[in-house]
Amino acid sequence: MTDETLTLGESLDMTAAGPLHKELLGRRGKPVTIDASQVRRIGGQCLQVLLSAQSTWAADGADFQITEPSTEFSDGLTLMGASHLAPAAALSPVQD
Amino acid sequence: MDPLAAILETFFQECEEQLAELESGLLAMEGGDTDPEIVNAVFRAVHSIKGGAGAFSLEALIRFAHVFETALDEVRSGRMSPTSDVLKTMLRAADVLADLVRAAQAKEEGEHPNAAALVEELKALSGGAVDTSGSEEDWGDFEFTPSVVAFDAPADAAPVEEVEIQPGVKVTFKPRGDLYAKANEAAILLRELGRIGTIEVELDAHEVPPLQDLDPEAAYLSWTINVTGDVTEDSVREVFEWVDGDCELKVEPLGGAPAPGADAGFDLSALLARVQDDTPAAPPAAIELELEAPLALEPAPAPEPVAPAPVAPAPVVAAAPPPAPALPPAAANEHAADGQGAGSRKAEAGATIRVDLDRVDRLIDLVGELVINQAVLAQRVMEAGLARASAVAMGLDELEQLTREIQDSVMAIRAQPVKSVFQRMPRLVREVAAMTGKPVRLVTEGEGTEVDKTVIERLADPLTHMIRNAIDHGLESPEKRAAAGKPAEGVVKLSAAHRSGRIVIEVSDDGGGINRERVKSIAIEKNLISAEATLSDEEIDNLIFMPGFSTASEVSDISGRGVGMDVVRRSIQALGGRITITSRPGKGSTFTMSLPLTLAVLDGMVVSVEGQTLVAPITAIIETLQPKSEDVHSLGGHARVISIRGGFVPLIDVGMALGYRREPLPATQGVALLIEGEGGSRAALLCDAIQGQRQVVIKSLEANYRQVPGVAAATILGDGRVALILDIDTIVTVSRGDMRKAG
Repeated sequence: MTDETLTLGESLDMTAAGPLHKELLGRRGKPVTIDASQVRRIGGQCLQVLLSAQSTWAADGADFQITEPSTEFSDGLTLMGASHLAPAAALSPVQD
Repeated sequence: MDPLAAILETFFQECEEQLAELESGLLAMEGGDTDPEIVNAVFRAVHSIKGGAGAFSLEALIRFAHVFETALDEVRSGRMSPTSDVLKTMLRAADVLADLVRAAQAKEEGEHPNAAALVEELKALSGGAVDTSGSEEDWGDFEFTPSVVAFDAPADAAPVEEVEIQPGVKVTFKPRGDLYAKANEAAILLRELGRIGTIEVELDAHEVPPLQDLDPEAAYLSWTINVTGDVTEDSVREVFEWVDGDCELKVEPLGGAPAPGADAGFDLSALLARVQDDTPAAPPAAIELELEAPLALEPAPAPEPVAPAPVAPAPVVAAAPPPAPALPPAAANEHAADGQGAGSRKAEAGATIRVDLDRVDRLIDLVGELVINQAVLAQRVMEAGLARASAVAMGLDELEQLTREIQDSVMAIRAQPVKSVFQRMPRLVREVAAMTGKPVRLVTEGEGTEVDKTVIERLADPLTHMIRNAIDHGLESPEKRAAAGKPAEGVVKLSAAHRSGRIVIEVSDDGGGINRERVKSIAIEKNLISAEATLSDEEIDNLIFMPGFSTASEVSDISGRGVGMDVVRRSIQALGGRITITSRPGKGSTFTMSLPLTLAVLDGMVVSVEGQTLVAPITAIIETLQPKSEDVHSLGGHARVISIRGGFVPLIDVGMALGYRREPLPATQGVALLIEGEGGSRAALLCDAIQGQRQVVIKSLEANYRQVPGVAAATILGDGRVALILDIDTIVTVSRGDMRKAG
């Protein structure tokens, strides 16, 4: 099984949650690497999807990785108290 | 439509409602109403627009609304008395706010020409209380800035707990799906909290289901946030003000006991905060009283304000300088009624639903199909030779009635009172009155008259123009009025009524009437008529509707915006309506518009021409007649006139006009429809035969094919055939041209 990279879009707002959910569902059962380098903002609903995916993949025993988080992505996660989702995020402080 | 666009659309719809509320509230205040609930309603309207604009980052709107709101807060708190001058400024500010909303809706860039000046005026009003830095900062800043102003409240009126700074506040925040659906964002709210203090965020994600069970539009996350620093519970609540009903929110002192009732389904302390917010001058005792009362979701008005807002000394209505002496009783009642309307509408709000217009239109379309289908079925039954009294035919009759009723009910869904247009006019009158220096009183009647939404939307421009005209050209200057023994204050009356299946709207003034000499000389000067032409008074009056009559050089700034009365007439005609003018020298003029109630169905006269079935709108038909040979006179070529009761009108062969035949039908073999076209001009349309009169469902040709000269639209008849609906005015105009050539 090959590891497929999913690149997140710039804006992970409420409109992005549905498509992201669908995309991830389609990759169920396979290890997935998520490239968060393009992300400029992330909202609560996309965070839910990512959190859900992370635990779903963990339950399936498949690899789930978020790589190259942009500063904005990391900040967003930290702001929402979810820096554990992408460990690198913990390094960046919250800022405006 | 993508969800965000749909939400934005809803926001703009709500803005329209808020703007209407704002204006009627301000007008009521101007009329001397001091009900604190009206002041609150006005404030809430601006506050809501600002809040919504914040969610969509509509910068210009937010900035302006913020300054406006701050000024209104001064009035609300009783620190500024709503004098006539203050309210005038506020009304103009409401105007700019409306423009900004429309600009945002149209995605227009650029500065509003009056916005900056009004911002200064509003700031001057609020005595510099506005935190101007707010306007320079990121929009995210807007939510809590007003609270800074709120804290400026006189010390004796401020409840103690409002100003007490706590070491920290603990916030438990759980968004509901609606919060996101309304384009609010948990992350932004958290960021806001981060701005007012130092935050420590703990995420609770235990409700997040496995991916396959997850609804991406639902809300599963909740947060516990410790906010420390210079924060109060109120400043924290301000952050969440816009998502109040869409989340579970608990705000409590850090490390302290939760606020009483905080565990309830909705936040009691938040409600308390809102009640306080809405009654800044109320003593704490009054707030307790509020708590004992049954809890309403809408904040109740202040039961007993300590410092009632001073009453405006000189209430002025839709009147302009020089200041109107007193409030005319009729206008006062109207405004009072307006104010009550605002209140009672709120109470009724629960009984209405907001439906996408497309859905209603689709329903109307389907009912149209049903009507056609029912007509087809009736025809088939007839053809099958079933007796009129047979059970099938009787059943069909019932079906027909039912269909009609359904059709009427569906049309009623689209119907709206003309009030929405009428209520824009008082401001216009004020503005124009101020510019012309003529004192004017606007009297409106029949605001509750209902008409199709499309008609209403397209009425605003012509009405605006006509009212401008009435004041600018219709009313005389105060000196002239005094000389003529009239009161200095001119009256412009706007009325609406239902008359035989149509809506009739009248704009009248009590001015000098049309100066026929001048109109005629202008028309001659502009080459619209020949100098020798002898015209009746009515014909002269109708000259003002001619294209090219009004030009920028001749009209003043107010009326002359490159639109003449011909544009007004055309827009009315485009609605299937007619406009006429009656004028009496020294007494004034009246413009009368008659419009169909709906643009979806039409009462038509079904006629046949060269084997084709055509429909003529019944509203244009005055009478039908059988031409006698001695009444018809040829003008050479194919041009003919027919004498009707001593006058001559052009006789137009419809078959020729539409190209169905090359040789004209002998007049005696056909039937003539005497019609009244644009500006009251008459003509007789010659057809082969009349089939009958029926209601037809209009199917747009433009939408389905393309525009055809002489044809307004099409319809489908009972036998399934398509029949064209005649565009009478075009046929008459084209034939006139032909006739001139022939003559």
